[in-house]
Amino acid sequence: MKPVVEFDEVSKWYGNVIGVNKLTIRVPAGVTGLLGPNGAGKSTLLQLATGQLFPSQGTVTVLGQRVWGNTSLNRFIGLCPEQDAFYEWMTGWDFIHTCARLGGLNRIDAKDAAGRALESVGMTKNKDRAVRGYSKGMRQRTKLAQALVHDPEVLFLDEPMTGTDPVARRDLMDIIQRLGGEGKSVMVSSHVLHEVQSLTPNIILMNRGRLVAEGNIREIRELIDKHPHHIVLVCNEYRKLAARLVEWDDVEGVKVLARAQGLMVETRSPDAFYGRLPQLSLEAGTAIDEVYSDDDNLEAVFKYLVNK
Amino acid sequence: MPIFDPGYQHWSGELSGHGWRWLAIARHGYRIGMKNYLLRIIMLVAWIPAIALGFMLCLWGLVERKSELVMPLVAMLDMFDPEVIANPKEYRAEIWTLCYDTFLLMELRFSMILVLIVGPSLISQDLRFNALPLYFSRPLRRIDYFMGKLGVIGAFLGMVLIIPSIVAYVLGLLFSLDLSIIPDTLPLLAASVGYGIVMTLSTGLFILALSSLTRNSRYIALFWLAVWFISSVVGGVLASVDQEHRRHAAYRRSAEISVAQPNANRPPADRQREQAARMADTRQMRQQEWLAEEQQAAKSNWRPMVSYTANLSRIGQAMLNTDAAWRKLSLNKPAEERDRFLLENLGSQYPWYWSAAVILGLMGLSACILNFRIKSLDRLK
Amino acid sequence: MTTAALRSAHDSSYLASLWTLFVLAVRQHLHGKRWMVMAALFVLPALLAVVIRATASDAPSIWLEFILIFMFIPQALLPLVALVYSSGIIQDEQEDQTLTYLLIRPIPRWSIYVVKLLAALVMTVILTAIFTTLTYIVIHVGADSAVTNLPSRCAKAVVIHSTAVVAYCCLFGLIGLMTKRALVVGIIYAAVVEGILANLPLSIRMVTVIYYTRIMAYRSMEFIADVPHKGLDIAAGAWKLDSKVDPQLSEHPSLALCVLILGVASMIFTTIAAVMCSRREFHVKTPEGS
Repeated sequence: MKPVVEFDEVSKWYGNVIGVNKLTIRVPAGVTGLLGPNGAGKSTLLQLATGQLFPSQGTVTVLGQRVWGNTSLNRFIGLCPEQDAFYEWMTGWDFIHTCARLGGLNRIDAKDAAGRALESVGMTKNKDRAVRGYSKGMRQRTKLAQALVHDPEVLFLDEPMTGTDPVARRDLMDIIQRLGGEGKSVMVSSHVLHEVQSLTPNIILMNRGRLVAEGNIREIRELIDKHPHHIVLVCNEYRKLAARLVEWDDVEGVKVLARAQGLMVETRSPDAFYGRLPQLSLEAGTAIDEVYSDDDNLEAVFKYLVNK
Repeated sequence: MPIFDPGYQHWSGELSGHGWRWLAIARHGYRIGMKNYLLRIIMLVAWIPAIALGFMLCLWGLVERKSELVMPLVAMLDMFDPEVIANPKEYRAEIWTLCYDTFLLMELRFSMILVLIVGPSLISQDLRFNALPLYFSRPLRRIDYFMGKLGVIGAFLGMVLIIPSIVAYVLGLLFSLDLSIIPDTLPLLAASVGYGIVMTLSTGLFILALSSLTRNSRYIALFWLAVWFISSVVGGVLASVDQEHRRHAAYRRSAEISVAQPNANRPPADRQREQAARMADTRQMRQQEWLAEEQQAAKSNWRPMVSYTANLSRIGQAMLNTDAAWRKLSLNKPAEERDRFLLENLGSQYPWYWSAAVILGLMGLSACILNFRIKSLDRLK
Repeated sequence: MTTAALRSAHDSSYLASLWTLFVLAVRQHLHGKRWMVMAALFVLPALLAVVIRATASDAPSIWLEFILIFMFIPQALLPLVALVYSSGIIQDEQEDQTLTYLLIRPIPRWSIYVVKLLAALVMTVILTAIFTTLTYIVIHVGADSAVTNLPSRCAKAVVIHSTAVVAYCCLFGLIGLMTKRALVVGIIYAAVVEGILANLPLSIRMVTVIYYTRIMAYRSMEFIADVPHKGLDIAAGAWKLDSKVDPQLSEHPSLALCVLILGVASMIFTTIAAVMCSRREFHVKTPEGS
């Protein structure tokens, strides 16, 4: 599948500070999470992808075309920027309509598009209020609406959930998932891991301007050889179970969690472990009340890769 | 061995009182201001008049002591009347007054530039980056905030107005080696420090009020410039129009007056001499009338008051009592030159309290604007 | 859709974007109190005329016109209004962090600059025209004025001032892109170059906008006063034009040449600024220099 966004050996530096360092990424269609701690280079990457910055080295292409200086490409790109800045004196509708017109839509199309965009983000009711009177969630929705108004093929969302309450956050996530379902390519930058995880399994993980990992969360997790998976088992006869578990070759460690009445098992083959566990429980005569792993998620991946 | 918690610890010491809260804001603003390269250069240049003031006061001290080092130099420069050089102690207060007057006039311009660089961003940046809740969520009153911001202006103006005045005074004392200088000149020191305080309060409140009106400090700077230059230009235009109007009126009046013809029976040469003498007398008379008219008009000429800086300098002139100094120096001039000398050197002659009223009015307006624009936390949006 | 139809649709959408940007820029100028402050400043010459009329009613109108309209306005007000409107064409949007919304639209960057400059020019020219006319009315109407053909003089003054303010706007717009301290540079330029160099009777004054403004005014109008001396050429004296030795001012450019020079200079400044804008990155999120 042809990548929607392509970074080829891209570096960007500001004086002596490197923003991104030899980045080579091919972002497929669909929803992709862009993750990293503060200062990782996520915003720099998005600004390079939207043509606001010129790469010091390498090339950036979106939909097969170079971005820098190619303003006609902006017709197909939408950006929801991180900064909370508007023409505060405008109403929501006025702002979106102006953005539609700036995008080249004629008067009638712009009017329809503005109405649709506001409807899609749930801002129809408040469209005639000045932006300066909006709450944080309303401002984020309005920012998203201006990114959608010209019906772009590719969307870049820079920390869209910042400062929003849980309800607004849920609504925004629903909107993003719907956009992905409609066939748009969406790149969502965030450091709120569980939100990105609920949006998409495909991630790009950055740290200190470098690409750390790219792809499916599970696949990445499995590739992290250094860190065995941690699986917690809760049962009454946990010591008896522990004695049986240490006999397995792929179990690297067992830690007793006396307070939780359970065990934490370290293994490099979680799938195989899960497969054998029910049989073990029957044979040992020990009922297992609970099985879970905090490891098989984005936070674990993030922690292992960023903090190493 | 005790184990200590390296985490957050409550402050167990004593908190300072409200009286000094503003100092933290002032200190911070001063530090930020001093990072500005342009500001540092302006301050260095602003010290040149201060050095010149110190030099002049030291020079006068040496003149009073009839130092052989400086007497030839002073004679060569021909800056003072011989009578003044002959009795320097008699004219000590006047010379010091005029030196301080010149210094403060020059520093007035530098002060306006310093306020232009430092002042516009004082409150506008806090509005732009929504820092007011950060201030007022602490035990900080609005008055502490305003005083802190005013303290920033005061720090910079103090460094170019007040401190140089004091340092120059001390230097002048040291070079004079005469204790009687203190009662003669102490009022000058008090006046210059007082003028510095007036400048700080007036310009500080004004620029803070302007700074609170918008989040874009560039427009505030431009407006400050407009107040400074355009008000000066407008005042100058009004004053020159008024003067031209009086000059034209005098010209028309003089055209109507005819000079009496000399006796036709006298020889032509004598008639010519008499004619010339009468014309000279008439010119002299018209000149005297013109000077008297100008002096009279100056007492009620309100036009310079349109200029903001002219009001400040009028107050400085009154505090230093420069008019008295010029009048005493004019006594050394021939009688026929005295009026012209005073006309050229005396500043504005309208009552100083008119300017004081303008300055106080502006300060009051500034305070109202600040009170309206900067609200406490419970009333911030 | 055929290629021609596609191109036509593309062109019309591009023009629609530019028009919207222009309207947005004008609305930004009109919104808020900035234009009111500028109007208050511009009304000063008219107010001065009223005050002078009240206190010195026999002041010759031609003299008032010269001082207020041909000295005060071009020397003090035009550079100031140009600084206010043009030095922050891009910088203001960058500081407000709204520039992103323009950069991510299908509008070339040089177009963004040119259109916003155009909006600034429209505002400044309108302000200049209105208040120059107002000042003329206050000075001459109702006064015992010996000046003839007042509408023509007013129109000429408006055109001359508009040409000057366009040149100032283009220059300060370029300065605004070249340096963060556009205000300081603009003030120094106005004070030193336009304020001091322009008043020297030397060739160096030919690098100033106000020199050409004065030549245009001198060549298209007369400034002859009867008081204090009959037939006194006020402008020649004040502007140090040696009209006694060279009545035709043959060493000075013609009217058309003045307009051409100012026009070409404005175009050059605008072109350089547009090129700079198209090649430059604008750091909206992180302040530049940090």
